[in-house]
Amino acid sequence: MIFMSNTRTNQEWLEDLTASGSVQESAIADLRNLLLRTVLFFFSRNGGDFEKLGRDEILQLAEDCAQEALIAVLKHLTDFRGDSKFTTWVYKFGINTALMTSRREKWKNISIDQLLTSEDSSEPEWMMRDKSPGVAPDQSALQGEVGDILREVIERDLTEKQRQILILIVFNEVPMDEVVRQLSTNRNAIYKLLHDARRKLKSGLQARGFEIGETLALFGAPR
Amino acid sequence: MKREQFERWLKNIYETQDDEISCNECFDQVSQFVDLEISSLNAPAQMPQVKQHLAQCRACRDEYEALRDLRLLEEKGELPSLDELQDSI
Repeated sequence: MIFMSNTRTNQEWLEDLTASGSVQESAIADLRNLLLRTVLFFFSRNGGDFEKLGRDEILQLAEDCAQEALIAVLKHLTDFRGDSKFTTWVYKFGINTALMTSRREKWKNISIDQLLTSEDSSEPEWMMRDKSPGVAPDQSALQGEVGDILREVIERDLTEKQRQILILIVFNEVPMDEVVRQLSTNRNAIYKLLHDARRKLKSGLQARGFEIGETLALFGAPR
Repeated sequence: MKREQFERWLKNIYETQDDEISCNECFDQVSQFVDLEISSLNAPAQMPQVKQHLAQCRACRDEYEALRDLRLLEEKGELPSLDELQDSI
């Protein structure tokens, strides 16, 4: 299949998509093909998310995503400022739709309510200090102190909502878009909750004298 | 949560800024960020808030990485055709 779509300049894309008749129809068809290619590119590198689907179902899902992304692109066309290639700007709509769809497929049979009520979810392994042979007792004790501070802030200073989102996204690695979908909210709201939680955790550690270099070195994290 | 994830989270806690851009603002700017990167124009220095958000937000980072990889393949003329991608499914 030959694609002519990338031969258009940014200006030509905008002119053709807002023209009328066959010029516009051709531009929209090219745009849809670009988006389908983008969605399939994303699906092909995230095949594990679609284990329960057959090939035809995945291809149909890709068609649906391309259509959804096409509508989003056309709706936001006036937002394009020309600070990137038009096609790069288009690709991100395809990738965004593909990512939300693939995460939804992977997590569709998992209830986040169950994760929130499971005891395993709220007590991750890092709460325990590292007692492996290579770790000095002092270091292990300080690691334990950091874990205690984090636990304390989580239990005492975070709001119920902040705590829930932290447990789901950070401790249980539930994708943000799945939390957004199941709680009927949006990415900005979830990000804000996580941001506020991080600020409180940072203040809690610093108030007890744990600065970045010392703490990261304690756990061997890169600075 | 595995040890290395905990370490990354700890780093994210310390790198938290009072003002961070939202996911919508990141989405709005990420295509420019990627094209600057593709053109070797030091995107992180020019758009530090996008860089910071991408370090903190897994969902936006996943999208950014897919967009960057797609553009890199496109620049090299190695992006698979639609037929090839359909066959790969």
